[in-house]
Amino acid sequence: MQTDKELFDLIKETYPLNPSKDFIESTEHKLRKTAKKLNRKRMGKHLSFAFSGVILFILSVSWLFLFDGKAMVMTTLNSFRENNAVSLVDDEEPLVFIYHTHNTEGFLSETNKNNPSEVFHDTKNITLVGNKLNEALKEKNINSIQDNSNVNGILEERGLYSNESYIISGEVLKDALKRNKSIKMAFDIHRDSSNRNVTTQTLNGIDYARISFIISRSNSNYKDNLEFAKLLHTKLEEKYPGLSRGILEKSNENVSQQSTYNQELLKQSVLLEVGGIENTLEEEYRTVNIFAEIIAENMDKLN
Amino acid sequence: MFDFEGSISEIYKNHYLDVYRFLICFSGDQSDAEDMTQEVFIRVLNNISLYNSSYNLKTWIFAIAKHVAVDHYRKKRFTTFFKDGFFNQLISTDKGPNELMEQSEMKKLVHEAISMLKPNYRMVVILRGINEFSIKDTSQILQCSESKVKVDYHRALKILKNKLFLDAKEVVGNAN
Repeated sequence: MQTDKELFDLIKETYPLNPSKDFIESTEHKLRKTAKKLNRKRMGKHLSFAFSGVILFILSVSWLFLFDGKAMVMTTLNSFRENNAVSLVDDEEPLVFIYHTHNTEGFLSETNKNNPSEVFHDTKNITLVGNKLNEALKEKNINSIQDNSNVNGILEERGLYSNESYIISGEVLKDALKRNKSIKMAFDIHRDSSNRNVTTQTLNGIDYARISFIISRSNSNYKDNLEFAKLLHTKLEEKYPGLSRGILEKSNENVSQQSTYNQELLKQSVLLEVGGIENTLEEEYRTVNIFAEIIAENMDKLN
Repeated sequence: MFDFEGSISEIYKNHYLDVYRFLICFSGDQSDAEDMTQEVFIRVLNNISLYNSSYNLKTWIFAIAKHVAVDHYRKKRFTTFFKDGFFNQLISTDKGPNELMEQSEMKKLVHEAISMLKPNYRMVVILRGINEFSIKDTSQILQCSESKVKVDYHRALKILKNKLFLDAKEVVGNAN
């Protein structure tokens, strides 16, 4: 009873060394059942993957060929390309420059003033209209920039009179032209102070602000400016009769007293009066949208 | 597709007896050992995809069995590890002549001695002595060094022998 072997034999004798037959069989049965379930799950996974793959393929193919998915793909691709084009233009070479000599010119609907000579606002002013034109042009792939210099503020700062504001805006324009040699057109956008019936045109039941083109006769680019204004006026009138109030040529017997409106700086530059104090921003926006459309349609005639 | 069900059944048939013997010696209770054996093969089935074929299948199965045994031991420790059921059963079946009484007394002693061993010692003794694994395989199953297997084995045997042969003499002495 001293050897290891004897000890182990003793241990072996102590315990029932064989499990019951029932147990052996039931366990095997249980294992087989579990294995079957596992296998089915595995197969199921494989199958469902394959199946959903096939369904997805059929769906996309039928979408492409039966339900006009192709057109969708093409438009998506095209818009992608267009977007790219815009961003390319955006980075450089603006063609249109928008600025505001009287940047605080406001609208009755946006101020609580009644006196027309007081309708000015620090934020809700003509620069919003300029901004709208800027956006509308960009949408039509015409790269433009808007200058939002607070000309009025600079004027007060320097203690100058309001009729000297064109000196300030002239500096703005000069600076812009120097930095962007690509600029071909410049619009100094104002609003008029005339009555609503003068500054408003109804087309198909919708009210639009009317545009006037102001040209200074006493500037070296007068003829070119006039031609530029005429083209825009004519095209605007062809498509939207009554929207343009026409071209107003400003002159003074004393040439030195007539402002050039900085139009001597660029051949294609014009002062625009878009609507008046009684027009709403909505009416203003509608008009500049149309104006952008006219520019876009006539880009080949503008150089 | 290979026969998953068939191969599991094959693995079971080849190994259930060894696994059962390990677990019966470890727990001392047949129904516990059977439950654990089943648990071992369910785990084998669920984890067969993790089995690395460079490893010995038998030692892999026994490594699982070891975990099942340890889990079982932890659960039992806080209830009653020394189950009366086993001895009552033995005594009730082994009633009668002196000789049988002696044998059952002996069994009781062996079981007590083994149960006194800490689980680690118990496993080394069973794996080496009953299942006859090599030192190397035992060290793989228990995930320890071979020298630890050797040391533990000798210490465990010493404790067993001391306990058994001292007590056995008393039993035999009393019988005479």
